[in-house]
Amino acid sequence: MAYVATRGGERAIEQSERLFREEMGAFDQARVDEVKRSLPYLIDRVMGEASLYDEDLAALALAQTGGELYEAVLLLRAWRTTQPRLTVAAPVEQDGLFTHRRISAAFKDIPGGQVLGPTLDYAHRILATEVLEGGTYAPEPVEPAAHSAPAHQPAVSAWQAENDLIDLPEDDETKGNDIPDLTREPLLFPSKRAHTLQSLARAETGGVLALGYAAQRGYGQAHPTVNELRLAEAEIAVTHPDGRSFSAGRVKVSQAEVVDKKGDKLRLGYAATFGWNEVKCIAAATLDLNAPGAEKGSATEEEFFLYHTEGVESSGFCIHFKLPHYVTFQSSLDAMRDAKAKKAAKEPQMEPSSSEAVGHEKSEPAE
Amino acid sequence: MSLSDLTKPWEAMSYGFLDGSAKRELRRKVLKSVSVPGCQMPYASREVPMARGWGTGGLQVSLTLVRPDMRVKVIDQGADDSVNAASIRRFIARVAGTPTTMDTLEADLIQSRHRIPEEVLREDQILVLQVPNPEPLRPVQPNMSIARQMHADADYGRMWLQLYEQIVRSGRVMQGASYPSLVHGRHVMTPSPIPRWDVPKLHMSKHLTILSAGREKRIFAVPPYTRVEPLVFSDVPYRVEDHGDLICTRSGAKGFFMNEIPQDDGSSSFEVSDSEWGVKTIRARDGEGESRGATWYRDGQFTDTRPGLEPGPLPPHDQEVPGQARDV
Repeated sequence: MAYVATRGGERAIEQSERLFREEMGAFDQARVDEVKRSLPYLIDRVMGEASLYDEDLAALALAQTGGELYEAVLLLRAWRTTQPRLTVAAPVEQDGLFTHRRISAAFKDIPGGQVLGPTLDYAHRILATEVLEGGTYAPEPVEPAAHSAPAHQPAVSAWQAENDLIDLPEDDETKGNDIPDLTREPLLFPSKRAHTLQSLARAETGGVLALGYAAQRGYGQAHPTVNELRLAEAEIAVTHPDGRSFSAGRVKVSQAEVVDKKGDKLRLGYAATFGWNEVKCIAAATLDLNAPGAEKGSATEEEFFLYHTEGVESSGFCIHFKLPHYVTFQSSLDAMRDAKAKKAAKEPQMEPSSSEAVGHEKSEPAE
Repeated sequence: MSLSDLTKPWEAMSYGFLDGSAKRELRRKVLKSVSVPGCQMPYASREVPMARGWGTGGLQVSLTLVRPDMRVKVIDQGADDSVNAASIRRFIARVAGTPTTMDTLEADLIQSRHRIPEEVLREDQILVLQVPNPEPLRPVQPNMSIARQMHADADYGRMWLQLYEQIVRSGRVMQGASYPSLVHGRHVMTPSPIPRWDVPKLHMSKHLTILSAGREKRIFAVPPYTRVEPLVFSDVPYRVEDHGDLICTRSGAKGFFMNEIPQDDGSSSFEVSDSEWGVKTIRARDGEGESRGATWYRDGQFTDTRPGLEPGPLPPHDQEVPGQARDV
């Protein structure tokens, strides 16, 4: 039969996938464990963007995709789609967090104290090349402090509210299944507060950083000061059908509060996410801080940054341009040639002005 | 009561991949979009095992509608076995256990990217179009909140202005595919990125068309027997692509939407974009039996398919020599 060129694609497709998977080779639980143990911050980033807290699944996704982050996040989110929502946990209060790290750039000291916790902020970033020469990189042991920091800390913004520096948002009494859930409802604008924060929580880290950085650098109206940055573990309390509350375990969370002076009060920007993701939280809180009153179409407007930091959607759309587009391309080519012919017919005597090509018309992008 | 009373036996995956609550939402939104033709209905749009922008919107509709006895056809750019079509078809068959087909006439459910098949669809067939960008106002108003307001006000002035400016600058409307069209006299929609050639196939058609954008989380529909009128000025008529005279070098089919294949000598050859139509034409030519249905276009001319005006019989097969290249 003729028509061979359009038949037979399926085999090539299958083989191309095999090629990709061959590079990763066979893997087993041991590799998954190794990924989980050696790349905890990457696991956290992936769990945050997938809005699915499961270190084993995140490690599996990373092992299966060879660390192609967009693919790993998509794998986890697609898996999440297949899972029912069984229950909604009780709200996590800030002073109930088990704090590992908590700093403020607004005050030299804060009620509850600054807790540096694990960080590379003050480290010299020197590559441990000795490992490549057969050595072993062994970290210096941690020397415990004389007094251990309290496990729970109050919020800095609570102190500011007491001192009339800030107006905290009203408590939202919405409970359980009534809480707007971004994975079950579309994001619409003006967006619900819950949707804004959920969307920022699962936003792509690099995208949030790019737009947050733009706002910090002067393309935003508000200049952030880190009021409080916290890495912690949160107890997930759920209610048994018989009414008793029990713990379903702890999850690592990070959150950032940033503030800006607005009139005689401070204004608060907030972000929180699964896992320990400091940069993302500060950038996301900066966007949240800049959003009120932002000009439509600007990068600090909620609609703009929430749509454009959605990593699964943006990466998916970006790679879809690798798909064939010959139908739409053919259609615009047809319009272009016809316009060109019309133009040529109109001015046969005139000098051909190639710079006046018709192709610059802003037509619908071929998709 | 215990937690186990509230659960069902464990299954690796729901029928058709999507869980019940996702399907319920999709069905409600499909019903709404059928009720208000051309109006975009927001929906949650779940993540499915393929990347956004690769037909996840169409896939969610297909997975919601599919039943084990439905024959499913998947098209990408007119072809059944191009990269994405093959992958989507395999996925639907895998999670829904459906028979698949490439034959437009045999299919109950057709999911397509960029093309409406050349053969006329029947009342019992459903066409699901994958839509990358459901918002026709996007080129004139990228902000979705403002665009929604404009739809509510039926404020399409800027669209008309854009078309007018194109005519002034270039002597014609430069819109390629996804030509903005007024549905049922009320909502302007972008008819997915189908070429202008395919837009008349939606007008008063017998089949239901559901257009779904997964990434942009919008569903809209063209119910059967609904007006779909491309935006045109009374003195500048709507024009489909100039493919009426082109001949497929493989099958000899003439007067259908073609793919242009650049040749080494600078010329172009053409092959019919609807790959199954090409295959059927070749089979008919080789005396393997006539399996072709009626087509929307006959010899490059659109056939009126409004109710009461059944398309006529298939014209005799064009005997022109295949392989003719048109200079470009």
